Amino acid sequence: MKSLKRIAIVMLVLCCMTSLFAQGASEAKTSGPRIVTFWSLFTGGDGEFFDAIIDEFNKTHTDIQLKNDTVKFDDYYTKLTAAFAAGNAPDMIVCHQGNLLNYVPSGQLLALDEYLKADNFPVSDFVAAPYDACRFDGKQYAIPLDVHPIIMYVNMDLLEKAGIKEIPQTMDELIADGLKIQEKTGKMGIDIDNTTAVYKAYTLTRLFFSFIYQQGGTFLTADNKAANFNNQYGYKALQALQDMVQKYKTTPAGLDYDTAMNEFKLGDAAFYFNGVWATGTLEQQAGLNFIAIPVPGFMGKPAAWSGSHTLAIPAKANIDPEHVKDILTAIDFITGHGEMWAKAGHVPTRISVQNSKAFADLPYRKGYADSAASAVAPPTTAAWDEIYGTCSDLLEYAVVNGQPIQEALDLMETTVNKIIATY
Amino acid sequence: MIPGNKDNRDGWLFSIPFLLVFVLFMLYPLVYGFVISFFKWNVLSDKVFAGFQNYISLFSDEKFYTSLWHTVEFVLITTPVLLVIGFLMALITTSKSPLKKVAENVFFIPYIFSMTVVSTLWAWIFQKQYGLLNKVIGLVGIQPVGWLTDPNWAMWSVCIATFWWTAGFNMILMSAGIKQISSEIYESAMIDGANYRQSVFRITIPLLKPTIVLCLILQIIASFNVFGQVYVMTGGGPFGKTRTIIQYIYETGFSYFKMGYSAAMSYILFFIIMIVSVVQYISLGRKSNE
Repeated sequence: MKSLKRIAIVMLVLCCMTSLFAQGASEAKTSGPRIVTFWSLFTGGDGEFFDAIIDEFNKTHTDIQLKNDTVKFDDYYTKLTAAFAAGNAPDMIVCHQGNLLNYVPSGQLLALDEYLKADNFPVSDFVAAPYDACRFDGKQYAIPLDVHPIIMYVNMDLLEKAGIKEIPQTMDELIADGLKIQEKTGKMGIDIDNTTAVYKAYTLTRLFFSFIYQQGGTFLTADNKAANFNNQYGYKALQALQDMVQKYKTTPAGLDYDTAMNEFKLGDAAFYFNGVWATGTLEQQAGLNFIAIPVPGFMGKPAAWSGSHTLAIPAKANIDPEHVKDILTAIDFITGHGEMWAKAGHVPTRISVQNSKAFADLPYRKGYADSAASAVAPPTTAAWDEIYGTCSDLLEYAVVNGQPIQEALDLMETTVNKIIATY
Repeated sequence: MIPGNKDNRDGWLFSIPFLLVFVLFMLYPLVYGFVISFFKWNVLSDKVFAGFQNYISLFSDEKFYTSLWHTVEFVLITTPVLLVIGFLMALITTSKSPLKKVAENVFFIPYIFSMTVVSTLWAWIFQKQYGLLNKVIGLVGIQPVGWLTDPNWAMWSVCIATFWWTAGFNMILMSAGIKQISSEIYESAMIDGANYRQSVFRITIPLLKPTIVLCLILQIIASFNVFGQVYVMTGGGPFGKTRTIIQYIYETGFSYFKMGYSAAMSYILFFIIMIVSVVQYISLGRKSNE
C-alpha cells in the first residue's frame, strides 16, 4: 500500500507539471481576419488614448485585427530586447526614436523602403524632421507616430498682472520678464527643474541641448564620435541656465520635476518648460489660464529637444510581404488618426492631421503643432543613453552649485568622450 | 535505480524538482554571468571576447568607485542603527508591557509593504515643496529642507525610510533569540538585586550574541544590495550623489546594454560581500562559540 501511495503522489506531481506546458495549445489557422500582433509601451493616460485608436481600427476593419500580444508593463525595453534575443518579437512594436539604434545595427528591425513603395504608403504626408530621424544608413526603419518636444507653457494671468504684453523672444527678454513677474506678482519667474529627486531633471539637459542647436551648433560631432559642445555655443547655453539660478534668481536651486510641474499647475510660476506631455495634466486644472507654444528661438533659430514614438516592424526570416502590407495598413491608420493620439498631448506627425479640423478643435495642441518642424532628435549613437544621463548629473551640479562654466564644460567634454570610447 | 536505502532514494526524488529549479535559475545564471564578464556583449549581437578588459576598465572608472562608496555609506549608516532599533523593538515585544502585542504588529507591518509603496510614500513625505515633513517643521518656523534634493540630506533621508521599513525584520529575529533565554536566569539575577539595565547589558546582550552576529551578517549583505528605495526616491541624485553600485550595474547592463561590463562589476561586488561576510563570521562567529 505504501508503494501505491508513493506512485500516486509522483503521478499527481507529474500531472500538475504538465499544466506548465499547456499554454500554447493550438496554432490552427482560422479563416477569420488576419491578426497583427503588437507590443506597446504606453501606460496610464497615454495607454488609454492608444487603446482607443486600436479599438477604432478593429471596429472599422473586418479583414485585419490588431491584437496586443502582452499585458502593459514596465521595463518595456528589457523585455523587448529579451524577445528579440529569443526570436519571438510581435509583428509591430512601439519604440522611442532614441531606442531604435539599440536594434537596427543587429538587424532586428525590417528595412521598410521597398514595402513602403510597393504599398504606396503616404510618405509625403509626414513632417520631414521626425520622419528622417527614423532613417539609418539611408534606410527607413520606423514610421514616426508623434513627436514630443520641449515646449514653453506661459501663465497668461500672471503676465497680465505684471503688465507684460508680449511673449519674450530673446534670452534677455525672458530674463527681464522673469524678474518682472517676481517683482510684480511674487511668483516664480522661470520654472525649470534642475535637481533629480523622484524624476530625473532631464529638462535642464534638454534645454542645454536645445540652446546649442538654436545657435547653430550640434551636441556631438557629425560622426557622433566626440563631444561638440565645449565652445561658445555650450558656454552661452550653460551660462544662461546657470544665471537664472545663481545671478538673476528667477529660478530656485534644488527645484525638482514634481515641484516644477505643480508650481505651474497651481498658478505660482509664469514661464514653464517641459515636454508636450504635461498638457494633459495642466488642462485638467480648473482656472489655469495658460498657453502652450514652441520654445522661442531665445538663442537664434527655434529648435527644441524632442523625443518621438515610432512604429517599427521586427525583422523575421521569410517574412510574408502580404503580412507586411497588413502591418503597414495598421500603421497608416494609427498615424492617420493622430488627432486621437494628440489627446495625450503629443504632436502628430502627419501634415494632413495637423491641418484637420479635429486636431484644430483640441485645446492648446494647435498652438504648439509647429514645434514638430523645429524638433531636434538626439544624436543617433548607441552611447546616447549614457551620455544623456551622465550629462544630466553634471549639468545639475553646475547649475545648482554655480560651478565655473569652463570647468563644467571641460569636465562634461572629457566624460562624454570617455563614454563614447567604451562603445 | 539510485543506490542506498529507501530514505536516500525518496530524499533525492523529492528534492529533484527543487534542484532543477535551483540549478536552472540560480547556479546556471551564476556561472553564465561570470563567463559573460569576459566578453563584450550587447545582448543582440554576438559576444566579442575581451579577456580581462572589463575588469581593468572598472578599476579606472570613477563612477564605479563613487557608486560603490555610496553603497558603503548606506551600509555604514543603516547597519548599526537597524541593529539597535531592532534590538530595542525586541526588548519591547518581549517585555511584560500590556502594549507588547500591539507594538509587535506596529513594528513589523511596514516590512510587509512592497519597496515601491514604501519608497513612493516616503518620497512624498520628504518632498520639499508639498511634503508632510516640511509642513510639520514649518509649523515651528523652520525653513523647508530639501530632504531628497540636498546632497547633505539625500542619503540620510533614504536611510530613514529604510529604518522604518526593515527594522521589523531584525526585531523578529532578536525577539526569537530573547525568548530562548531561560527566564530562570533573569529571575536569579533579580533575586541577586540586578536592575533592568544590568539585566539587559549583562544577560540579554551576551546571550543574544549568536543572533546579533546573524543579524549583522544578514544586514550587511542586504545593505550592500540596496537598490530599490534609493532608485525610486532619488533616482541616484542629486547629481548622482546617491547612486548605489547596484543601480550603476543595472543601468550599465539594461539601459546601456554593456552586459559584459555590468557582469564584471556585479562579480566584484559579489567578491566584496563574500570577503566581508567571511571576515565577519570568522572574527565574530568563532568567538561566540568559546
